[in-house]
Amino acid sequence: MKNPYRSIEAEVLEVTAETPSIKTFRLKPKEDLTFTPGEFMEMSIPGVGEAPFTPSSDYKVEDEMEITIVKVGKVTDAIHELKPGDTVGLRGPLGKGYPLEKFEGKDVYIIGGGVGLAPIRALMYGLFHMRDKLNKLVYRAGCREPSELVYRDQMQEWTKRDDLEMRITVDNGDDTWDGHVGLVTTIMEDSDVDFSNAVAIVCGPPIMMKFVTFKLVELGVKDEDIYLSMEKNMSCGFGKCGHCRLGTFYCCKDGPVFTYDEVKEFPGIWE
Amino acid sequence: MNFIEKDQLCSFLEGLSGEYRVFLPAQTGETITYRSYNGDTLDENSIIGKVRSWEPLKAFYFLGREKVADNYKPDMPNVDSKPPCIVGVKACDLKGFRILDHVFLDEEYGDPTYIRNRKEGLIISADCTESIDTCFCCAVGVEPHPSADYDINLTEVEGGYLVESGSEKGKSKIDKYSNLFSEASPDQIKGAEALRAHVKESVNLNIEENGVPADEKLSGAVEAKYDSEELWKDAAETCVECGACNTICPTCHCFLLYDQKTDSGHGRFRIWDSCMIKDFARVGGGENPRARLWMRLRNRFDKKFDYFPNVTDVIACTGCGRCISACPGKIDIREVLNRLVSE
Repeated sequence: MKNPYRSIEAEVLEVTAETPSIKTFRLKPKEDLTFTPGEFMEMSIPGVGEAPFTPSSDYKVEDEMEITIVKVGKVTDAIHELKPGDTVGLRGPLGKGYPLEKFEGKDVYIIGGGVGLAPIRALMYGLFHMRDKLNKLVYRAGCREPSELVYRDQMQEWTKRDDLEMRITVDNGDDTWDGHVGLVTTIMEDSDVDFSNAVAIVCGPPIMMKFVTFKLVELGVKDEDIYLSMEKNMSCGFGKCGHCRLGTFYCCKDGPVFTYDEVKEFPGIWE
Repeated sequence: MNFIEKDQLCSFLEGLSGEYRVFLPAQTGETITYRSYNGDTLDENSIIGKVRSWEPLKAFYFLGREKVADNYKPDMPNVDSKPPCIVGVKACDLKGFRILDHVFLDEEYGDPTYIRNRKEGLIISADCTESIDTCFCCAVGVEPHPSADYDINLTEVEGGYLVESGSEKGKSKIDKYSNLFSEASPDQIKGAEALRAHVKESVNLNIEENGVPADEKLSGAVEAKYDSEELWKDAAETCVECGACNTICPTCHCFLLYDQKTDSGHGRFRIWDSCMIKDFARVGGGENPRARLWMRLRNRFDKKFDYFPNVTDVIACTGCGRCISACPGKIDIREVLNRLVSE
């Protein structure tokens, strides 16, 4: 009988400091482990604990994965101490990823904020692989200040792509930043996306997701076409431990990606 | 209908103890608790009838604390050699299986210990022969005698027990030890029916005296009062956040996974958790969707009386009344339910 609680071993190949509090870990699982964009992993430090993270790398690279992690507590503090050659545990993939097939023939409008840009990176790779099946592809990325922007070089490269219409904004600028300054909601109306036939994907802090979602509804995106990454306390990852309940769903099993239509009636979705 | 004498029941359990770990209720002071069947005769403290035990049945299936991973080894550690045989299980605890099966018995991510104990274990249930003042099973769709989810059921009658099989497994055990059983007499059957009616009446009297709303009234009641903050604040006022209501509940299934270093390296452990505790829903970044105690109490009721009826059509309360007895803050689920439907 399969043991759903057991992690497999993975070797840390490379650690990249993205910002003062965010690092990306390139991992090599010692057993077969593949994922699709939006699915998540429980990553553990032996004897310390595990926590949920969505991979940020290209799902077509099957023998490695990258996970971008912000340092916020006991487990992530220990993760930030990792060096190449160390061993971690991985359990997953868990949850449901983005339904990429539903995006075919549509304008795809992506809004990300802060460390929410990490799961979106995995999604972007997925969308680039199916680019010819999509209409317009628009990405609006934001973070509090330039020093908190993850994948800064890659993100700035992406702004030059012909097949992507991308803008980046920071809430507060500094002298290293010559781009747009302002909340991400201030750069949501400057594209010629057909909002009534678009899917919107939102990933970021709850407060940002709330205002972006309201804006999207105002712009005419249908509730069932707004995909939100809900943040709840996901532990077991398969709807049994009870911590991440969201109305009649478990965030881990039925999400973490939900349409606004699925969750809007539940109390406290932005908390 | 079969009948078994008290002494023969002892021989039956003795036989079963070859293939099962047999547990039997016993009077311990004022409460009834389970103990391991020791192979001796049933003594004066052994209980088959009476009422539910102090500990919930889930304790044998979904263990209070279990090591679920040893380093990175694929198999569950610490698998017991023999499955459990639980004797004297009451109808309220059996209802707990309607919830726990829904949670733990799935193909892809089922809990290995739970699945094994459910599939290989044996349930010898028994009719309640009395009620205590916290019993209210009849208000939540249970009668005080088992009607499903048992392998064998015992009904206490003069000199022994009426025996019914509730599954193929139960029937095969009765067949295997058929020399221990005899045909029940019409008087014994009549006696059992009278006992059932009497106990049911006493539970219904409890329900009436305590103003417990009936099943159908509870449907939608939490949803309707979700925003009645004062009600939830009042109800939670004396809560000390000990989590006893959760651990003692036959349907509460939430657990915490935690990792720690062990003598052989590291391990992952699963322990019962409590949604009443502050950090239950808190996320890594620090946000807590249920930061206030009354929100957590409301969530407990929401889960039992709204979530489970929605997803599996069963109220996740069995009327066993254990949470009433266990609560140091004297929070009485019957009073909260009453307020939900009457205010």
